[in-house]
Amino acid sequence: MEWLLRFIRTRWAWALVLPPLLFFLAFFVGPLLYLFFVSLHDVSQAEMYGTRLTMENYVRIAGDPFYHFIIRRTLTAGLAVSGLSLLIGYPVALSMVRMSPSRRSLLLMVLLFPLMVSNVIRAYGWIAILGRRGVVNKVLGDVGLIQAPLPLMYSLETVVVGLLTILLPYMIICLLNALLTVDRNLEEAAQALGAGPARTFLHVTLPLSTPGIASGLLLVFLLTLSAYVTVQLLGGAQSKMLVSLVYDSVMTFVWPRAAALAFVLLAISLAITTLMLKGIRPQRVQGKG
Amino acid sequence: MRKVSWTLRIVTLLSLVIILGPIAIVVLVSFSPSDFFAFPPRGLSLRWFHEFFRIPSMRAAYLLSLEVALTASVLAAVLGTLAALFLARRRGAVVGLLNALFLSPLVFPTIIIGVALLLFFRRVGMPILPGLILAHALIGTPYCIRLVLTSLQAFDVSLEEAGQSLGASPVRTFFLITLPSIRPGLLSGWLFAFIVSFGELNTALFLTGPGVTTLPIEIFAYLQFQGSQLVIAAASTLQICLVIILVVTIERLVGLSSMVQSR
Amino acid sequence: MSAPVPEADVVLRRVTKAFGSVVAVNDLTLEIPRGIFLSLLGPSGCGKTTTLRLIAGFEQPSEGDVFIRGQRVNLVPAYRRDFSMVFQNFALFPHMTVTNNVAFGLRMRRIPRAEREARVREALALVHLAGFEDRYPKQLSGGQQQRVALARAIVVRPTVLLLDEPLGSLDKKLREEMQVELRQLQRAIGITAVFVTHDQEEALTLSDRVAVMNGGRIEQMGTPRELYERPATDFVANFLGVSNIFEGRIIGRQDGEARVAIGPIQVSVAWEPGLDAGGPVRVAVRPEKIRLGAPDEPGGLPARLRHVVYLGATTHFYLEGPDGGSLVVHVQNVSPDTALWTPGDKVSCHMEPRSVFVLRKG
Repeated sequence: MEWLLRFIRTRWAWALVLPPLLFFLAFFVGPLLYLFFVSLHDVSQAEMYGTRLTMENYVRIAGDPFYHFIIRRTLTAGLAVSGLSLLIGYPVALSMVRMSPSRRSLLLMVLLFPLMVSNVIRAYGWIAILGRRGVVNKVLGDVGLIQAPLPLMYSLETVVVGLLTILLPYMIICLLNALLTVDRNLEEAAQALGAGPARTFLHVTLPLSTPGIASGLLLVFLLTLSAYVTVQLLGGAQSKMLVSLVYDSVMTFVWPRAAALAFVLLAISLAITTLMLKGIRPQRVQGKG
Repeated sequence: MRKVSWTLRIVTLLSLVIILGPIAIVVLVSFSPSDFFAFPPRGLSLRWFHEFFRIPSMRAAYLLSLEVALTASVLAAVLGTLAALFLARRRGAVVGLLNALFLSPLVFPTIIIGVALLLFFRRVGMPILPGLILAHALIGTPYCIRLVLTSLQAFDVSLEEAGQSLGASPVRTFFLITLPSIRPGLLSGWLFAFIVSFGELNTALFLTGPGVTTLPIEIFAYLQFQGSQLVIAAASTLQICLVIILVVTIERLVGLSSMVQSR
Repeated sequence: MSAPVPEADVVLRRVTKAFGSVVAVNDLTLEIPRGIFLSLLGPSGCGKTTTLRLIAGFEQPSEGDVFIRGQRVNLVPAYRRDFSMVFQNFALFPHMTVTNNVAFGLRMRRIPRAEREARVREALALVHLAGFEDRYPKQLSGGQQQRVALARAIVVRPTVLLLDEPLGSLDKKLREEMQVELRQLQRAIGITAVFVTHDQEEALTLSDRVAVMNGGRIEQMGTPRELYERPATDFVANFLGVSNIFEGRIIGRQDGEARVAIGPIQVSVAWEPGLDAGGPVRVAVRPEKIRLGAPDEPGGLPARLRHVVYLGATTHFYLEGPDGGSLVVHVQNVSPDTALWTPGDKVSCHMEPRSVFVLRKG
């Protein structure tokens, strides 16, 4: 009896976590498992999915050169966006580290604000800039530099530019976090030992910011993979990516195929995540082996 | 050295321009008095805002977005606070796993969450509106957890022990002592979940239906299939204003920088 | 198993507390008489704070029983035990005024408002903080905050007052003032107090009884004087002040005293069971109980002076004994010419009679 009371007394905190846990199991883990389950079935005309367990949906995707092409394009875009965001974001993060805390907080607020604006609005902004009747064409036309509007929209480049500007704040914040944890003393120690600013950066600051680089690259890449609306609005029919195919597939309501495609996307996300974490090995910098 | 810092400054400025530029353009366009976009703009007008409120589908979408955001954010705040209270006090491998689980919607491709929930809700016959609210609550919970956790981490556990030493039961201790101290984190989390839900696309894409659309989806549909984009600009500006107000409020409550720098 | 004697407010009987594989409190038995100010003294990790928290109910014993006023409280949660606690970091509720902080415990006990207000006023007056009712904790200095914490703890008139290194974060002068105030307060209301500290001077200053703890056990419990003059083990002897330890041999017994040979000299110690003639024994003597004399003065242990430290009121001498061991001697500087020895001098060390004590290993 006493044992029971003691057990309850020390374990009562678990009651706290039960509601959110059940919620997540019911509306996150459960549905995902169900989706996977469905992807392993054959297609059915009458029901949502057939009765046979099979890998044919995945085999179809693996063997279709169209999917290969789209996946290659998706990965290229992802690499481009994350790479560019790193190149542009790093200097910004560096300059923010050296700012006074109040200035930095202000800039942080300015950077967080666009992240809360819906992506559809931010994509619309680029339509307003690059569209046939957008700012660029209007200005160039009014000034007389061009006769007909430039087709700036609906290409892979447009998509990359759009995604880059949408996701750049994420990269900057990840980098900033990492750079802020770099002890000033370490940089000063390097300088005391004779390393100039460039060498200090290269040998001390940069390596120590690797966790931030890794998490930034990863976050931006993953968000690129999932950015349907931006891709659709800025890329149109010519620049579909894997996420567009997932959407189209779901809209046909041929569930086993759509589910398989969705999991291919997920698998790619997981693969990228594992590669990134293993490759850059942020733990080593944090001193955990 | 000076050259370097100037380069940094220029890059920073350019980055801000490309990040904020499109948003600024949208706001500018929304005040355009004419049917088409003129640059430089020839005056300011509120006609597109009036137009926005005139169109029933737009009004409905706006109201629905508010309704969903409000309900989902409250749900997210409750679930998030419970989870945060647990995560702040416990250690161990299982807790680490739970932590990862609760924070995963932040990095998990939300489009897949949308697909999975669509399938699941179809299967169990969940009506559209509750389904949407549940999806947004799921997405918003990690933000609430993060923000309440930062408040909790600054909170001194000995305050609770002091309360108990004076005779307050655990429940009373929570409401009289813990809750007032984590109020900033809780409020910020709730507001964050609200904004996130209001602007959310990837799950709303699948989980909305005829007559039940959110504002971002309505805007998306207009952009894809209809002309008259300037009404869209007005709708967008309304959301942008909402975001500005909420971001400033959160900064006042909790200091955004603290939320971002908790690792 | 009979209930413990009612005069003891707090009793721990054979209490063990383990955290995983770490045993913080090991088979501990402790009886605290009513109205006593007891200090739990020891180095960090000795289990003193855990013991305090076991009394409070913030930890449950892995084995053994805890009694408060004769009632077994193992299963009683902290908020239903009759105690109050003063924390090291004060733990004042930041969102409440001083009055509301102090009144909190009374609110929990549903004391009606009129009585509440009167008792809060009384408590604040006792800690010399009348007039601070509407301030918030962040507007107060460290010493003031500590006094509010104290007022909050005593206003509920608990059976026992627990204090967890409450003066640790105060600066030296403030700490000494608060020590005096605390003691006076405790005496004035006659409450049983358990005070945790690692500072031996603080423990000796404040307490009626001191329990020296080490490795989860109580090495020795007694009055400050008992612990200092008659430490039972090496640990206690070295934790409370300094001692000079010698390996000697018992050569005889006479009228309740045993004669011990230490090198060339003999000393007397109080006889206790276990001291057999011819057997080895460890004895110790405090540095202020040794008198230095001329090297040829008979009856003293010969030593050579290594190092001298002048401290104003006292002079500390560090010497090397006949077998190479080190000796410490403290001398009061009674006059300007007291003890003008210099390093290298040979001296003789004379122990004051009845100042040598036996040490048990531990």
